[in-house]
Amino acid sequence: MPPQTSAADLLSAELLAKLERMELVSRKIFRGRMKGERRSRRKGQSVEFADFRNYVPGDDLRFIDWNTYARLDRLFLKMFMEEEDLHFYALIDTSPSMDFGEPTKFHYARQLAAALGFIGLVRGDRVKVLPIGESAGRAAPVLRGRHQLWRMLEYLSGLEPGETFTLADAAKSFCLRNSGKGILVLITDLMDKSGYEAALRYLLAQDFDIYLIHLLSAEEYEPEVQGDLRLIDCEDGDVTEVTVTAPLLKRYKQTLHAFIEAARDFCSRRGILYFPARNDLPVERLISGYLRERGLVR
Amino acid sequence: MPLDLVNMLSWWQWLILAAVPPAILALYFLKLKRRPLEVPSTYLWRRSIEDLHVNTIWQRLRRNLLLFLQLLLLLLIMLAVLRPGVKGSKLVGNRFVFLIDNSASMQATDLGESRLEAAKEAARNTIERMQPGDVAMVVSFSDVAEVEREFTGNRGQLVESVEQIAPSARATSLVEAIKLASGLANPGRSANDDTDVQVAEPKPATLYIFSDGKFADPAAPLGNLEPVYQPIGADAASNVGIAVLNVRRNESRPDQLQAFARLENYSQAEADVALELWLDDDMIDAARYQIPPGESQGFQQDLGPLQSGSLRLVIAKAKFLHEDGSVSDDQLAVDNQAWTVIRKNRPANLLLVTPGCEAIRFALTTEAARQLANVTIEPPEVLNKGGDYAQKAASGAYDLIIYDRCRPREMPQANTFFVGALPPVSFDLPPDREGGESKKVELWRARPEVAGPRIIDVDAAHPLTGWLDLDDVLIAKARPLEVPAGGAVLIDSHLGPLMAIAPRGGLEDLVLAFSFVEEETGDDGAVRRFAATNWPIRTSFPVFMLNLLNYFGGGQAGLDTLSVQPGRQVSLQSPAPGEPLQVLAPSGRKVEVPVGDLGRANFGETDELGVYEVRSRGAAVDFFSVNLFDPTESNIAVRQQIQLGHVPVEGRAAGWESARKEFWKAILLAGFGILLLEWWVYHRRVYI
Repeated sequence: MPPQTSAADLLSAELLAKLERMELVSRKIFRGRMKGERRSRRKGQSVEFADFRNYVPGDDLRFIDWNTYARLDRLFLKMFMEEEDLHFYALIDTSPSMDFGEPTKFHYARQLAAALGFIGLVRGDRVKVLPIGESAGRAAPVLRGRHQLWRMLEYLSGLEPGETFTLADAAKSFCLRNSGKGILVLITDLMDKSGYEAALRYLLAQDFDIYLIHLLSAEEYEPEVQGDLRLIDCEDGDVTEVTVTAPLLKRYKQTLHAFIEAARDFCSRRGILYFPARNDLPVERLISGYLRERGLVR
Repeated sequence: MPLDLVNMLSWWQWLILAAVPPAILALYFLKLKRRPLEVPSTYLWRRSIEDLHVNTIWQRLRRNLLLFLQLLLLLLIMLAVLRPGVKGSKLVGNRFVFLIDNSASMQATDLGESRLEAAKEAARNTIERMQPGDVAMVVSFSDVAEVEREFTGNRGQLVESVEQIAPSARATSLVEAIKLASGLANPGRSANDDTDVQVAEPKPATLYIFSDGKFADPAAPLGNLEPVYQPIGADAASNVGIAVLNVRRNESRPDQLQAFARLENYSQAEADVALELWLDDDMIDAARYQIPPGESQGFQQDLGPLQSGSLRLVIAKAKFLHEDGSVSDDQLAVDNQAWTVIRKNRPANLLLVTPGCEAIRFALTTEAARQLANVTIEPPEVLNKGGDYAQKAASGAYDLIIYDRCRPREMPQANTFFVGALPPVSFDLPPDREGGESKKVELWRARPEVAGPRIIDVDAAHPLTGWLDLDDVLIAKARPLEVPAGGAVLIDSHLGPLMAIAPRGGLEDLVLAFSFVEEETGDDGAVRRFAATNWPIRTSFPVFMLNLLNYFGGGQAGLDTLSVQPGRQVSLQSPAPGEPLQVLAPSGRKVEVPVGDLGRANFGETDELGVYEVRSRGAAVDFFSVNLFDPTESNIAVRQQIQLGHVPVEGRAAGWESARKEFWKAILLAGFGILLLEWWVYHRRVYI
């Protein structure tokens, strides 16, 4: 169990400065609940002019273009761009398997969620950072506005890994509580013996714009173990006896590669953007480099 | 060979040893306590080893490879302790003599390859069974024996010298080989002199004879040699060979030549033989014969009036039809060819010195005699004149000089025949007492004249007097001979020897104790001649004269060529005394042969079969042929039992005593190898 993380551990000042210039990008247009900083395809109230249309009875008289009426003697309604907010969800896998690595995958996931959440807050999006799981997500606050940063960081610091669940159940539970619009970033190691496919299908059914950050530790990429071992699964206590040899390690890496490729393939077929990540890559480089390249942020 | 074991441990030691495998198993399972390690998820590990579990038993075996290697190592150690071995691989004794037969019959191919190769193989096998510290020597033998390798313990050298033994076409004689072996096997005992004092303790040795047994059993004592005879070859062998080839004059037409040959079928099957006769490079006759088993077949061919040429008789093809219907080929090639050379007659040079004797003159001027000799007749006066006679007589130009009732002052360099006179050969006798004079003694002396001697004995074995029937010969008077030492009486009478022969250097002197013609000067001063014997009018006289020409003059000038067996010496006559002869062997090899004063030379390198050419000053002067013509070698059926010095020796295939050959060293080495393999496996972790 890692020591209580302070809020400042999650995001450094330099990173915050960098993140301030960024913005979350959604490939889908969502209807926000509140007026945000984001232009909407809907015409609405803002200072930015969009179009004219004929007046029909019942329209707000305040938007009639009187100048045009004076020239043409016909009533036109002036239309403006509507500015909307964006729903942003960051889901963190809190299963015990995330509590491995240096830094732990869980800590890394929190940093990543905090960074992405901060970008959303700065842009006035509706940000909800929450652990995925049966119970954990209930108390997650909905945040909006830059001033909510500390609240988000405090909430993230208070999260702890350890709950055992299946991804599918957790996704189902999440979908029941949250409406399906906006960006959803799922940070997980996908280490679920019952499979991750069901969970992703639930999320897809909710029409989220899903980004999957597949976070694995360096130890999982290149295990530095040797000899006759009893491997104990920290989630279900499952025991696997192996004698680690060079051919077995080679075989493990082949399996890992196949696992990653299968996940990537599954995601790309279904419009989920898949990002492999490892815990020894600094968060800022992941965001400013990789995620930016792939279009989650800009 | 069955494997047998020798228990080296008592029961409680075995108990301790037997406790080791359970201990290894226990240790192995203890070692299997794996180190626990908590991992995020066993998901990937499980999937990594998932398909390995498909064939679980094999996987378990693989995973337990180290265990199995350890158990195998222990098993090998236990096996080594049991000292496994096989019987029958040590040779008897520790000193060996390997006699390897390389005679002509060893070229038979009844064992696939030649018998010599099989003998070499058997010798190699025997050498390989030598123990460290054993010594052996290798001797090859045909009619001569040759030491290929002196006593040594170096098996590589022994095998190498066995490999170097080359086949020969010679006959076989074991006597020399055994003498050689016993001489070399027993230090201090001479190979040649049986009375030699033994200065060292005789060391027993085992005598291995690799042969087909085609030799006359030697009577030589073996001493402390223990003989082991290993017969090489098949019992039933197929061979047909040429036993004789020669050329003679046609009895009825002396100018015509005929070739005679005899083929022998030495096998137990009927032979179908295709025969070819070649004159120089032309085939002049071909014939085909069916020869029943064990029988012979004559061959005769008219050659016409040939003057010279080289005849070659070849068995071109021989098939043997066995009773069971199978067919086999001829298995010995060396007796399938024979050669002979028709030489130009070289008439003998004969000088007859006589005051006049019709009998001798008539006998030397017959048709047959003229072909054999060029006869010159001179009166006795030439003996005192010197000149041409003296020069020719001293240089050996005559083959034979007949002195009829006269004697030269010095003996000539020629064979002589004295009729009614004695050869002037004398030697100095040392004085009887000191200061006395030495006496000159005549070698040939005659007793006082006797009348009417009756012939009682004729030496029928001597070529000069063979076939002579002298019963009807009457002699008026004679002076019986005192035969010198080394001489032989050819015709004996009840009153003393009438004809005798004695050697003189390389020549021979024949002396007749009576003359054919007696001369008497009558009262009136007229010389009357009358016959002193009736021999000249008897049949035996011309026969004797022909024998005389053949023996002294015509031995070399006969029609048939000289044919010798391989390895035998050939006596050659040079036309130019003092100048070396060159002999050109059938293979093209040239040998220079030194010639003695009398123009005679001996040539012994007759190992090759075929026609040899003798050259003098670059010109061919003579030919001779070397043929096997040896029924012992040609009859290639193997003898299973031989007799060595009155001791019968049974042939046996394996000549080594039953002794253990142990493998524990090899097993321990293998165990060490397994130990290394285990170490490597453990460190490399080669398996999953």
